[in-house]
Order: sequence, then C-alpha cells, then structure tokens
Amino acid sequence: MSEITHIAESQHDDHAHGDSFTFLGRTFPVPLYTGVFGLLGILTLIEVTISQVIPRGELPGYVDLVGLIMIVIAVCKASLVVWFYMHLNKDSRIFMIALLVPTILVIVCVLFLSIVPPGSY
Amino acid sequence: MSEMSIEKAHSAEAVHAHDDHGHGHVQDAGGRMANLKTATWMYLASEVVIFATLIAVFVVFRFHHPDIVAKVHHEANILLVTINTFLLLTSSWAMVMGLREIQRDNREGLLRWFGLMCLLGAVFVGLQYVEYNELSHMGVALFNQGNEFDGFGMRFYAPTAFHGAHVIVGVLWGLFVMNNARKGNYSSKNYAGIEVFGLYWHFVDVVWIILFTMLYLI
Repeated sequence: MSEITHIAESQHDDHAHGDSFTFLGRTFPVPLYTGVFGLLGILTLIEVTISQVIPRGELPGYVDLVGLIMIVIAVCKASLVVWFYMHLNKDSRIFMIALLVPTILVIVCVLFLSIVPPGSY
Repeated sequence: MSEMSIEKAHSAEAVHAHDDHGHGHVQDAGGRMANLKTATWMYLASEVVIFATLIAVFVVFRFHHPDIVAKVHHEANILLVTINTFLLLTSSWAMVMGLREIQRDNREGLLRWFGLMCLLGAVFVGLQYVEYNELSHMGVALFNQGNEFDGFGMRFYAPTAFHGAHVIVGVLWGLFVMNNARKGNYSSKNYAGIEVFGLYWHFVDVVWIILFTMLYLI
C-alpha cells in the first residue's frame, strides 16, 4: 500500500485527493478512492467465485484451505477500507489498536471454544 | 498523549467556545476534529467488541455444525447477498467521493454523492428484508423449529440484523449530514461532522465485508 502515491492536481489540503494515482509505477487516470473501490470489487468477485466454483469440505477436520484464502481476501478488503477510506494512512496509528485488540481477543476466544466439545459450555 | 493527536488536522480556523463556568477559551478546528475522531474511534472499538462476539458465536457454531451451515449455504440466494455487498461497497465509495467534494468546496457535489450513498444504504436494507423473507420460507427461524436448520437462525440473524440496524442509523445520519450541508454548515475548512460520519459508515462497510465472508461464503 505504501507504494501507492498520490498525484495532486487540485489539492486544498493534505486530505484531498487528486484525479489520478500511481501504483507500482503505473498511473491510473481515476482518483485513488475510485481505484480502491475497483480493487474491492475485483476482490469480492474473486471471493464469491472461489466459494461457488471450488468444491468444499474435501479437506479433513477444520483445515479448510479455501476458507482460509477467503478469510485472507476479506481481511485485505477490510484493511483497504480502513487504510484509505477511514484515513488510517494519514491519522495516528494508535487508532488501529481500537480495531486490533478486540479482534485478537475474539480470535483467541474462538480458538479456545472451537476445541471445547459441543454441549460442554 | 502526543501520539493521540491527529496528524495533519486542520487548524486554519479558530472557533470560540465557553466552558460550564462561563470562561471563554479558544479551541482551533484542528483540535476539535482530533477530539471528535478520537471519540469516534473509541466508540468504534466498543462496536468491534460487540460485532466480534456475534461473529465468534457463529464461527464456533460453524466449527461444530458444518453440515447445517453447508445446507443453508446450498439453499441461500448468494447472488442477492453479493449484490447487497456491492451496494454497500459502492455506498462507501460514494461517501469518500462526497468528502472529496467538500474538501474542494463543492457542496453540490457532496449532496449528490451523499444522496447516492443514502439511497444505496436504503436499498441494502430493503434487499436484506427480501433475503430474510426467503430464509424464513426455507425454515431458517430465530428459534428452533425442529427442522434441519435448528441452531443456525439465532446465530445468523443476530449479527446481520444488528448490522442492518447500523445501516438504518447510518442512512438517517447521512440524511442529517445532507441537511446540514444544504444549510451551508460545511466547507473545505470545516468538515469534521462529515469525516466523523464517514468513519462510522466505513466501519459498517468493514463489518459487512467480514460478515459476508464468515456467514455466507465459508
């Protein structure tokens, strides 16, 4: 994400975005926000396609590679929104704690509860 | 506390305020925006706890009853939910484009984008109602009905309905912001209210991104 740089054409301040942006050396003639929106759309399509095309439940137990890939895609999409749309790329990183701490706690709880047999809690 | 300050916040305009004791003090707009943002992020942190708990309940259920979840997924209308997902993603995009317009002092542009955002949010809620209707006809109920979907309903409806309530609040808040904008309360130097609303709306989008994957796809 850090490789994305803005080309400011008519900026009023640091928060304003220009009409184009550069990513991996290529300049796209749309605002950065639109580029992020396009990427979110593409990732969503990939996610839905994977869920519908690739057969599920073939791997034993809880190891579900396809599910894991979709979770990674979802986290990438959420990160894009938080980073660019919620302006965490410009604001204090301390705000990230507000999202991360409860999320990590829940993941730990889920991992614990998942090993408790059903009906034992 | 210095880390808590918002970098690059606006400070062009000074506003006067009075405390409870009647003593006047000056607080710049940058400081106000920083306070509003910090408060909003703290509020969002509490929302994360609630949503994360609701999602965790579903995930644990899915671990223990993958067969029930698979049955619902097989019967569910994934196209409808995918359309809904795109509606919410588009509304988030409309939100930031509206913010971009007010940063350029284009109030009409802000109103246009926010109008689109509110419309998409309202359609999202409408389609969610359609989806609930379909699920209830399938037999997915809030409480156990003695059918093959028992246990799924409560764990599914709780997070999605709670999210839907947030979308409704967001649409109403968006209309309120539009009304303020129409009155000329925002400009390129003063748009804290829009930015704070944006944080809320994007958070609702982030929650849906996670819900969509965890509840409908996996």
